[in-house]
Amino acid sequence: MLWIVVATALAFDFTNGFHDTANAVATAISTRALSPRLAVSMAAVLNFAGAFISLAVAATIATGIVDADLITPAIVFAGLVGAIAWNLATWYFGLPSSSSHALIGGVVGSAFVAEGAKAVYGSGLVDKVIVPALVAPVLAFVVGGLGILVVYRIVGRQRPGPVVRGFRYGQVISASLLALSHGTNDAQKTMGIIFLALVANGNVAPDADVPTWVVVSAASAIALGTYVGGWRIIRTMGSRIIKMDPAQGFVAQSVGATVIMAASHVGFPLSTTHVISGAIMGTGAAKRVSAVRWGVAGNIVAAWVLTLPASAAVGGLTYAVVALLGSDDVGPIVVSAALLAALGLALGRRLVAGRTLTAEG
Amino acid sequence: MTVLAVDTHLLWQVVWVSLLAGVGISALFSLVILGAARSGEMRRAGRDGAAFAYAALAALAFALFAAGVVLGVQAMVNK
Repeated sequence: MLWIVVATALAFDFTNGFHDTANAVATAISTRALSPRLAVSMAAVLNFAGAFISLAVAATIATGIVDADLITPAIVFAGLVGAIAWNLATWYFGLPSSSSHALIGGVVGSAFVAEGAKAVYGSGLVDKVIVPALVAPVLAFVVGGLGILVVYRIVGRQRPGPVVRGFRYGQVISASLLALSHGTNDAQKTMGIIFLALVANGNVAPDADVPTWVVVSAASAIALGTYVGGWRIIRTMGSRIIKMDPAQGFVAQSVGATVIMAASHVGFPLSTTHVISGAIMGTGAAKRVSAVRWGVAGNIVAAWVLTLPASAAVGGLTYAVVALLGSDDVGPIVVSAALLAALGLALGRRLVAGRTLTAEG
Repeated sequence: MTVLAVDTHLLWQVVWVSLLAGVGISALFSLVILGAARSGEMRRAGRDGAAFAYAALAALAFALFAAGVVLGVQAMVNK
């Protein structure tokens, strides 16, 4: 069971990487600040590096949301499956959604089915998921809108050539920061899960350092996923929400990076996906309200609303199947095989979609 | 004050820090571009004093922007 949980955690890490590539690079690709392949390569390298920067292990996934004493490897496994399934589904429809919320939802669902309502803390859900999910896009929308108005005010009368070039250079910096930040945040989640599984299995002591192979494998999985690139989501964020100019792309990315870091610094972490999407919409709406394709924006918001219940439902269902088949090895192996088949299919389709990507989306 | 499970003081802090940092960093980089572009124009027009002033503006804004980036990386490392 331990190695199945480890492999599933790395599979989640991979989907986390390719699902969230868009957060860092979509606007830079859309405004031609970076070529698509260079953008994902850079993001992959920085995600890998970011995973090593901060080793304060996030053994805190779902902490304060579910009763940690009741969590078993089978619950974690089912939660991971719920998160992977939601990441793949939203990728298929090209919808950016929070991988962290999907993971929390998956674990909540599996814990609920395994242990009942006593395993889930409602106040933790409100505090750590629902309120941040409401705050992040609205805050980023407002800051992005104000940011682009200030930027247009400063450079609005300048010749477009140097301004466009300047903001493209700026986008390389802001995209790099976002990719690095993603590595420091999201690779930690997988490290935390694997570390918990190792502790639960008695392989390492709770106060031990994270084994090097855990750090390297988590960093590699998220970097590989980032390099593979979730092109459908990149297309949505880069060109389907608004048709953006380099100034808007720069502001959306910079505001995204600063809001994420500022919030993280004061101890109120927000979803990167929610922040970047909100900032993109804000920079579009500040220019002209009709510049935002509100239908696309509505679909994205619907995906955010559904993230928690949908991943919880899959996590709960998976736990039920695992429990039915036998939670030692047989259940997880059967579910893992089905998941691998789905992942293989998804990757095959991605390769086809990836080849047709252009900077215009 | 805490409403339900939400610390409103923390929330308010997130809002103003984000506003200040987000708008500030965007404005600083715009000043870099403005300063660099106008400095070139002034130099070509033979107005060396104005060219120097705009170049200084660009340099100062870039230094502050770079400091913001370093702060961001520090925040990532030290969290």
